[in-house]
Amino acid sequence: MTTQTEPARPAPVPDEVSAPYFEGARDGKLMLMRCLACGAWRFPARDRCDRCWSTETEWAQASGEGTLFSFVLMHQVYHPAFAREVPYNVAVVELAEGIRLTTNIVDCPNEAIHIGMPVQAVFEPVSDTVALPKFRPARG
Amino acid sequence: MSHLSGKYAIVGVGETDYSRGSGRSTRALGVQALRKAMLDAGLDRHGIDGMLSYHGGDSTDSTAIASDLGIRLNFYMDCSGGGSSTEALIGIAIGVIEAGMCRTVAIFRAMNGFTGVRIGGTGVRAAASVGGGALFTRLYGQSSAAQTFAPSFMRHMYEYGTTSEQVAHVKVAHSKHAAANPKALMKTPVTIDDVLNSRWITKPLHLLDCCLETDNATAIIVTSMERARDLRHTPARILGVAGRVSKPRVDYHWVHGPITRVAGYYAKDIVFGMAGIGPEEVDITGSYDAFTFTTMLQLEEYGFCPKGEGGAYVSSGIIELGGKRPNNTSGGHLCEGYTHGMSMVIENVRQLRGQADDYCPGWAEGRHSYDYRPGGCRQVRNPTITMNLGWANPATGSALILTNT
Repeated sequence: MTTQTEPARPAPVPDEVSAPYFEGARDGKLMLMRCLACGAWRFPARDRCDRCWSTETEWAQASGEGTLFSFVLMHQVYHPAFAREVPYNVAVVELAEGIRLTTNIVDCPNEAIHIGMPVQAVFEPVSDTVALPKFRPARG
Repeated sequence: MSHLSGKYAIVGVGETDYSRGSGRSTRALGVQALRKAMLDAGLDRHGIDGMLSYHGGDSTDSTAIASDLGIRLNFYMDCSGGGSSTEALIGIAIGVIEAGMCRTVAIFRAMNGFTGVRIGGTGVRAAASVGGGALFTRLYGQSSAAQTFAPSFMRHMYEYGTTSEQVAHVKVAHSKHAAANPKALMKTPVTIDDVLNSRWITKPLHLLDCCLETDNATAIIVTSMERARDLRHTPARILGVAGRVSKPRVDYHWVHGPITRVAGYYAKDIVFGMAGIGPEEVDITGSYDAFTFTTMLQLEEYGFCPKGEGGAYVSSGIIELGGKRPNNTSGGHLCEGYTHGMSMVIENVRQLRGQADDYCPGWAEGRHSYDYRPGGCRQVRNPTITMNLGWANPATGSALILTNT
């Protein structure tokens, strides 16, 4: 529920091409779209491959392993629901599969975040049906 | 060189006050800016028959602006667009005149960028529901231009050793220029320490790395050289133009290729190829300074310095008045005011006319004394070629090369 004192974080409303990503995260899996015709990973999810134009796709589980490619630290409050979280990080992670996604780094102080650090996917529930893939520093 | 190079010109420019409280509609602002540009060109309501504008759902359409000035149009188009639109629409103006659809095109941008819709994405925009593409960004707290552009700067620092102190020189230079600009919102020069000690907005961007949200309208008039010769001022001839040149993926620019590469990498061959010149021949640059680092990335991508050396270039003094190639002599979006790209083209037109001395006595009466001493006026000594570098985001850019010869 949204109240004046505790604004709700934006809730995802997955569509037909993105639902498996969020449902996969709920089940603890990083699920990505892959082209059945040419094998290219496709992110963000969309209905046609921009390489071979095929609409034949599958959802496959990615390794969840990646490297921090770039990031910023958000100090300004834009969305009221993030007011208590500033400064928070917004990160670009390059997955072992070669694609990059926007995410947050968790279980790591902002001061320790650095480009090139190995990271591993974790999954943060936001509702009964949906979770968000995030990343923590890889252990070992 | 293209057969259209030098065949068209900018003949009129005008703008409203730059403020943070216009108290007027974008319609009233747009009408005022266009009227000033028409007076500047020496055109009456029969002299304009084409109109172009761009907006982000925050402006008034050409049909209203033209009607309010008694202008009957043979062509108009209002498109959505950001900071790469000015140069792109100038190119479109050339095309529609060349096609015979109209003879003279007015381009305007009207926005209450501070008291109306704020591009940063606060208020109603921030609270919008999350579906479609925003599923992969806003859920993680990513919504503003600062957040989506700055990963390119962060990566540039990582790959090339660029520093916050180096790009702070962009703000310092532009603030000195704005101090000689009576129109500027922020006329007080700042220091490197002022920039580095200002609060974080989105690290690596401090408050003073960011441009000034502004209420304003601006207008530019384009016509053929044939007609331009009969008008009031020395025409700013269009030698080259490139419009909304893009990287392979625009919607999430960070997913593709090196993100320290920006659209200018692709635009430079088009604009320099059409103009038949190279970066060394440019006297003044006008870069899109939404943030300090966007100027740095554009200047290096267009070849004003080798790739990766943008930080050294912008901190060398070259971009300051008195330097080899001043950038944003009006103070730009960082200090004069944010106009979505228009004002940097307007400034370069005035530089080519010798009119950027509006702090000097007699200027209003057309007497030019040109105080070139440090702290004097901001007119550059006898410039002949200027260049504008438009930027919508790291993946889309436009460019324009003008001359007075």
